[in-house]
Amino acid sequence: MMADWKLLKKLCEARGISGREEKVRELILREIRPCADRIEITPLGNVAAWKKGEKKPKTKLMISAHMDEVGLIVTHITDEGLLKFSPVGGIDRRVLPGKSVTVGENVRGVVGVKPIHLLTKDEREKSVPLKELYIDIGALSREEAEAAVRPGDEVTFGSLFDTAGGMIKSKALDDRAGCAVLIDVMKNGLKYDTAFVFTVQEETGLNGAKTAAFAVKPDAAIVVEAATAADVPGVDRDRRVCRLGAGPAVSFMDRRTVYDRGFYELAFRAAKKAGVKCQAKQAVAGGNDAGAIHVSRGGVRTAAVSLPCRYLHAPVGMIAQEDFLAAPKLVAKLAEMVAEERSD
Amino acid sequence: MSDGLKELLFRLCEAGGTPGGEADARKAAEKEFAPYAETRTDALGNLTADAGDPDSKNHILVDAHLDQIGLIVTEIDRDGFLRIDRCGGIDRRVLPGTAVTVCGKERLSGVVCCMPPHLTGGEETVPETDRMSVDVGRTAETARKLVRPGDRILFRTEPKCLLGTRVSAAGLDDRASVAALVRCAQLLAERPPRCRVTFLCSTREEVGGQGAVTGAYLADPARAVAVDVSFAAQPGVEPEKCGRLGGGPMIGFAPILNRPMGETLLALAEKNGIPCKRDVMGGDTGTNSDAIAVTRAGVPTALVSIPERHMHTPAEIVDLRDVENTARLLAEYLWEAE
Repeated sequence: MMADWKLLKKLCEARGISGREEKVRELILREIRPCADRIEITPLGNVAAWKKGEKKPKTKLMISAHMDEVGLIVTHITDEGLLKFSPVGGIDRRVLPGKSVTVGENVRGVVGVKPIHLLTKDEREKSVPLKELYIDIGALSREEAEAAVRPGDEVTFGSLFDTAGGMIKSKALDDRAGCAVLIDVMKNGLKYDTAFVFTVQEETGLNGAKTAAFAVKPDAAIVVEAATAADVPGVDRDRRVCRLGAGPAVSFMDRRTVYDRGFYELAFRAAKKAGVKCQAKQAVAGGNDAGAIHVSRGGVRTAAVSLPCRYLHAPVGMIAQEDFLAAPKLVAKLAEMVAEERSD
Repeated sequence: MSDGLKELLFRLCEAGGTPGGEADARKAAEKEFAPYAETRTDALGNLTADAGDPDSKNHILVDAHLDQIGLIVTEIDRDGFLRIDRCGGIDRRVLPGTAVTVCGKERLSGVVCCMPPHLTGGEETVPETDRMSVDVGRTAETARKLVRPGDRILFRTEPKCLLGTRVSAAGLDDRASVAALVRCAQLLAERPPRCRVTFLCSTREEVGGQGAVTGAYLADPARAVAVDVSFAAQPGVEPEKCGRLGGGPMIGFAPILNRPMGETLLALAEKNGIPCKRDVMGGDTGTNSDAIAVTRAGVPTALVSIPERHMHTPAEIVDLRDVENTARLLAEYLWEAE
């Protein structure tokens, strides 16, 4: 399996906060159209694509990744022409000051802060409260700003994609890396008929996954995600969740889901069979589309396979290339093993 | 506004230069001055460029600093993360999650580590810079081959156009002023002044202004004008203490500054239709003009500032019109000088 950095780069650079996934969807559709047997766009904008294998599965499987990324949304334009905003998805306000952003169609801006020279001692040591932050697009008046942007416009982090030193650094790796994994699995084909789903609005409450799972009616699901890797200085070894370079992380439990125990075990066996590394996600933290999928209709047995990602929900995330390359192999093998199992 | 000013400014900003590590910024500035003036470099890395009449007794020094704030590598830990400290007055509140370029044996892209929110006790505190790390995604062994303690780190953000004539880049403090000096040298090349002019691009301003101290000593000028950035109106800045983007250069008035020179600059601005603002400070100015004014037996010194938002962050903003008007005002002043 060759690494397709070009596709991953395009996916990461595409701008799409929750509810504004159009550009990402277009990109994905262009990629999967040639290899899908049937594609459906659900009312909320999810992409559901079916691909036939050599055989009918005993367990109807859906593999999913979400298309949206965390970002900001313009809420108000001040008399001075500055933009006030709200976060879309869980963003730690500390990663915002001084960052480059793109607003609306393609307006460049920065998140402004008061100069350090004018701060009180107290202000210097504390993070900037969200209400004091604003986006500066260089407008000198409300009128000038209003001609370029409107309240409700999406705001994404500026993009700096690079693949130096065996890593991938970019915005929106959560979860465009997962989308790239799905596309890869789909292009390579699976033994059994499979549904591939690219969901909307994961970061704001799993609304896409909830409705997609209802529409697709699977017996089982594999969610391909990005998970916090806290293998950074100052974090105790037992609090690192997962680490880069140790293979995709498999979840046993997070704040939304207690995962199917059988699938959890199966994932490790699948990794062994596929000849790739795999690790447990060692914390009951975070949550993903599995939270909505596993309670869909009469219940769906669900597994989550995540790419360990440092600086999740920040302007530049980092994943290891070897983990990214291992993920499609693990997902494909796990999919095969799940489909072979009887669903009852 | 002159053609190519934005490109000139972006070229200057793209070349990094932290205090004491200004080589790239100097090379970039040297290339821009070379067609218009003879340049040299001194012991502290200052770049000077000569213009005007070399025999004139009226020798005017025009200074802008070459360096920008950044970070310095203090140690490489056993997992390959770089421990860091400030190199100039960086605002630590903008560091978590920021993309950086580490200037090691090669240029490495990195990220200032930020803790995942679920592992931190709320979002209130920002750690001290020397408790932060930079992640270049390398093993300790590779990192140690490529990076050494003392190597510098720059904000990694590309210069960009905002609305109208506003631009944003890291290091606009003080490359915006260096650009104004280059633009001024272009104007003087078209119409040489009668006085002798030394443009000084000085080093180490962000750690105390040592470059200006020695550069002004060597130049031994009769008068001097320091050019730097100052605060433009933005939230949190009191309106009476700042200029505004597009409002033109700010002319300094302070005990350390020469008042008649300030008045001359204001009068020349008015005569030539250049917008400007009186910028009054109670004591010293916090710029190179403080050091230049007390060089040798003393040098009458003025201060011209380009309004800037978000100083000392990767999100600095200036208005190109202010850069151009600063260059024009400096040229008018030098043409006027006997």
